[in-house]
Amino acid sequence: MSADLVMDTCLLAGTIILKSGGETYRTEETMTWIAEAAGMDDVNSSATPTSVILSFRCQGQDHTRMVRTPKRTTNLNKITLVNDVSRRFVSGGITLSEAYRTLREIDQMKPIYPKWLQHMAAALTSGAFSMLAGGSWLDLGPSALAGLTVNLSMEYFEKFVRMKFFTEFSAALFGGMISLLFVTLFPQLHMSILIIGAMLPLFPGIAITNSLRDLMAGDLVAGVSRGVEAMLTAVSVAVATAITLWFRG
Amino acid sequence: MLLKGLALSLVSSTAWCILFNVPIRTILAGGLAGMVGWLVFSTLPMMGAEVLLSTLVSASVVSLLSQVLSILLRVPSTNFSVAGIIPLVPGSLAYKAMLAFVNNDYMGGITLATHTLMVAGAIASGLILGISVFTIWRGARHAGKRTQRG
Repeated sequence: MSADLVMDTCLLAGTIILKSGGETYRTEETMTWIAEAAGMDDVNSSATPTSVILSFRCQGQDHTRMVRTPKRTTNLNKITLVNDVSRRFVSGGITLSEAYRTLREIDQMKPIYPKWLQHMAAALTSGAFSMLAGGSWLDLGPSALAGLTVNLSMEYFEKFVRMKFFTEFSAALFGGMISLLFVTLFPQLHMSILIIGAMLPLFPGIAITNSLRDLMAGDLVAGVSRGVEAMLTAVSVAVATAITLWFRG
Repeated sequence: MLLKGLALSLVSSTAWCILFNVPIRTILAGGLAGMVGWLVFSTLPMMGAEVLLSTLVSASVVSLLSQVLSILLRVPSTNFSVAGIIPLVPGSLAYKAMLAFVNNDYMGGITLATHTLMVAGAIASGLILGISVFTIWRGARHAGKRTQRG
């Protein structure tokens, strides 16, 4: 088994997990498992939310490589698939080259749900959540539309603005303005319900969960940085809400 | 009323799963986690529990359920827990806090913001509690197997 292929496979698995929004401890564990199952000695891996380092010893020679992962999205399907591949390789179900080929396919994979379905899902989750928060049937449509606006503007701004928190802030502001428009046009709607529903697609659920799981696994640096990420998102949404409320007067 | 809440939490969690590209075969399980979380969250106050306690308990239930589902379906538990905590998000508290700040009611705003933070902390501790309980249970099971073998 060539050390290069082992290195490539491990790093590919690690970067896919990290790029798709997985926990850093999962990244490290997966790389270590694959390398150890491939018969490498002295395996050490380290991951932060933006980089992966792997080093091992193969027939008396040390190998170390580092990869940066600047762009991150959330795609839990890819994490599940990589998890599956690594499990099958470790249990001896597939060979290393098969694992590498499958990982390459996973890396190239498009999101399983088309864009329009994701936007519809954002609308649906906003509408349903606003009703859970005490809204009536009347509030369902407008808050779904506001949630849709938030998700659409997120996607739109992401292309121009490199700063994630400003993107979220602008999207939240857009959603807030749509809610404000609805409330001004139809005074029987509730401003609070609309805003609560509209901001739900921005809720940093994955950052919170990952931060906690990393902290639990002892990855303190990654856990704290993910926690700060979640807090900054929450703050940008809160500021956008405050500005919207201030406009209302 | 309860049925409506159950249906809404199911829909909202399932849609959230789609937003995060959860694998197709686990979408409904994620929605189920959200529904169970909401069920616990809305029934505990009827027995006299306050918001913080019911949030803590329902978050731990969601976390435990995600761990069990992750073993049954052989996928990472994040798939379920991310969607499961959606119905517990303290949206209206956060909104009220911002409203108070905008209206120059700083004392009220700080009270409400603290309350929001406490609820968020309850969700976090609930998730951690669920994982810890599950780890203990799994460790105990492994230890039991080891003694049986030995």
